[in-house]
Amino acid sequence: MEDNPLTEQESLELITRMINKTKHDYLDTGVSALLWGSVISISSLLSFASYYQNWGWGEWVWWLTYLAVIPQIIISWRDKKKRKYRTYSEDAMGGIWISFGISMFLLSYYNSLFHIPHAGAVFLVIYGVPTFATGFTRSFRPMIIGGIACWILAILSMRTPFPYSMLYNFIAAQLAWFIPGLILRRRYLKAKKQHV
Amino acid sequence: MFKDLNPILHSQLRLAVVSILIGVKEAEFTYLREKTNSTAGNLSVQINKLKEAGYIDVSKQFKDNYPLTICKITPQGVQAFEEYVKDLQSYLYIKK
Repeated sequence: MEDNPLTEQESLELITRMINKTKHDYLDTGVSALLWGSVISISSLLSFASYYQNWGWGEWVWWLTYLAVIPQIIISWRDKKKRKYRTYSEDAMGGIWISFGISMFLLSYYNSLFHIPHAGAVFLVIYGVPTFATGFTRSFRPMIIGGIACWILAILSMRTPFPYSMLYNFIAAQLAWFIPGLILRRRYLKAKKQHV
Repeated sequence: MFKDLNPILHSQLRLAVVSILIGVKEAEFTYLREKTNSTAGNLSVQINKLKEAGYIDVSKQFKDNYPLTICKITPQGVQAFEEYVKDLQSYLYIKK
């Protein structure tokens, strides 16, 4: 691009082109969504199965989520390092997901002390918040649907006893994160292939 | 009477830079060069002009031991851009 004079029409076209270039530039790798979709799905299924199999370690299954924080930190750090720009909406999304993580940690601790009745429903309500917010901000329909699905499953979970409520947890993890993660990953790899 | 279009912004490369920065919080120099398809020398000169006009902030950092230039639009830059677009629209409206 040179420093040529512009007509008014050309100026408007240039502004539109540049704004669109940045608007469509951000592509989520989908790795975080796949990671959490997998971890919550596996934990839910193991929790369900341990009820019938009487596995002694069954109640410790949810510690997997704490372990998953380590690869998540590495993913976020690598992603941040690769990015050549920052947007206001991405910063806001980062804040929402950090708040979600802290809320989940505190709620798990509270639940371990006081045993909330139908705790699965409370967790599902909270799963829905950052998922829906992310989908809404990025106009990404699979996550909007995923967020709404979490809230519907939360209502069902309020009337479903353990361990069956764990199956709702599994479905929520699939709809809110794993499936959207697969879609994001496919889009990312496709875009990457086009740029090579 | 119409106001003259802001000469700082009424230039291809400077307008492209400001249009990119209006949509992001901050951007690296290499990102701006990539998106505008400009040479490093020319972009550097135009960024300096925008900085002197107070439309953008330029900060220097280090990333993996390499120097990194980060550009960010200022409130003054946002206001100038909005006025520029408004003036453009009024020009185009009268031409129709």
